[in-house]
Amino acid sequence: MSDDSGLSCILGIETSCDETAAAVVANGAAVLSSVVSSQVDLHARFGGVVPEIASRAHVELLTPVVAEALVEAGLDGAGIDAVAATVGPGLVGALLVGVSAAKAFALVWDVPFVGVNHLEAHLYAAFLEEPSLAPPLIVLLVSGGHTLLVAMEDHGRYRVLGSTVDDAAGEAFDKVARFLGLGYPGGPAIDRVALEGDPRAIAFPRAMLDQGHDFSFSGLKTAVINHVRANPDVRVEDVAASFQEAVVDVLVTKARRAAAEADVKAVCLAGGVAANSVLRERFLDACMEDGRQGFVPSRSMCTDNAAMVAAAAWHRLRLDGPTPLDAGAYPNLGLPFS
Amino acid sequence: MLILGIETATDQVGCAIGGHEGVLASFHAARGRRHAEILTPSIEFTCRQARVDLREVGVIAVDLGPGLFTGLRVGVATAKAMAQALRVPVIGVSSLDLLAFAVRYTNRLVVAVIDARRGELFYAFYRQVPGGVQRLSEYQLGAPSDVASELLARGEECLVVGDGALRYRSVFEDVARTEFGTVGNAHPSAAALVELAHPRALREEFVQPWEVAPLYLRRADAEVNWELRPLRQGAGLRQRRTA
Ligand SMILES: [Zn+2]
Repeated sequence: MSDDSGLSCILGIETSCDETAAAVVANGAAVLSSVVSSQVDLHARFGGVVPEIASRAHVELLTPVVAEALVEAGLDGAGIDAVAATVGPGLVGALLVGVSAAKAFALVWDVPFVGVNHLEAHLYAAFLEEPSLAPPLIVLLVSGGHTLLVAMEDHGRYRVLGSTVDDAAGEAFDKVARFLGLGYPGGPAIDRVALEGDPRAIAFPRAMLDQGHDFSFSGLKTAVINHVRANPDVRVEDVAASFQEAVVDVLVTKARRAAAEADVKAVCLAGGVAANSVLRERFLDACMEDGRQGFVPSRSMCTDNAAMVAAAAWHRLRLDGPTPLDAGAYPNLGLPFS
Repeated sequence: MLILGIETATDQVGCAIGGHEGVLASFHAARGRRHAEILTPSIEFTCRQARVDLREVGVIAVDLGPGLFTGLRVGVATAKAMAQALRVPVIGVSSLDLLAFAVRYTNRLVVAVIDARRGELFYAFYRQVPGGVQRLSEYQLGAPSDVASELLARGEECLVVGDGALRYRSVFEDVARTEFGTVGNAHPSAAALVELAHPRALREEFVQPWEVAPLYLRRADAEVNWELRPLRQGAGLRQRRTA
């Protein structure tokens, strides 16, 4: 397992929020299978993820999801060299389902268990699709729970340059979508409606644009609410497009500045918000303009999946070795520094 | 046929291994509510002490609850994954049945009660029969005073057993002719689980790993609140994390 000879296959499991996922990845690079069962329909009527409902669904879905990932990879337990699961950050009850199952598989198959940091897993999503990527690089990780600007100096070595001081980017999308009556989840809803709107119709604030690497989105959300209340006849499409434009503007500007300061060759997007079509386009344009390699993972690799967990586990196993079986779940885990 | 029993329905974590020779080894820890941290290492330890290779196990028995949701899910998720990896079937047993089985030698009416938090109990009634106990009621959720009223109405000698009996002792003390279980049998036992599962294993009363589900007896708060809307809209929600 620890040397470069032979294929090493890792079964990854992801249950930190509302996707039940399992994947088999060889050598941290080749995705043999990646199965994601989304619970979005279970949570939609509540307008957000309900932790207890998510945990119950993980227990129900994990067995068939793992079975499918193994079948698709053409393997049974005998071909698995390690089992990895997200140990945090995330919803504690949800995390515990995946962690417990992963440890059970590892014990029965007599292979190492690897506890994976969900944030680190998102960073590794890009590596699965672009083999030429290599650290040092800058990663903009944007999701419903996180907005992080990270300098990845080497495998397993990160510096968090900036993060949100209030709402995460994806949270802002969800809250604004809910306010505009666009439904849940908010990201895809706003993306879709904004296509019909004018992104320059309303000049929403770009908070902290020129201040450091941190982000703030709660003022923007308030500005949207105030604008709509003051202008009840405003077109929803224009509000959505202008809001999205403000978010994308801030994200791209900050990622660009961080890349210039760190003087890295490559910049990546990661996380569920990286599925946003305007962000993807503007991010790549900016990278091209600056002469840097820009990489945006496919949409299915941006949102939660287990292939990224297995990929991160492959690197973690080399750096730290197996995780002891008495590991638990760590809902507030941050990125590992070293 | 070797049976591995997994039990995490209350504050206690337990596992046991056994078969036709009875229980070969068992482990229980009742402190700290660290189910996920303790369970897999304790299975490894218990198998080693019983000199059993985990891969010789032919059935996984698991306590399905009712009990505390998070702990319960650790046991059920572990049991399902082990059964899936070993390609063996599962026998699910209720936590309340386990509590009653442990006191099967009394001829009193047995009331198994598990602390459900929020001032409620999971409970069921049992009566001794040859070789074990027979359940006389559904698995229920209710206030301790409701259980006490039901006992008063029945008016017979009874034994209240489980962690709910310890916590709500004062409520049941008012009921005449009541005895209490001890701290020693306050939690479902993994050893009892293996014992109880053994005859069922011989009769092949199995389910497959994907069919196993915890016995919650209580719906998620958000679902209850949803039905009560708009009185209490949005309670118990957490904002979605997109990914
Ligand atoms: Zn995520």
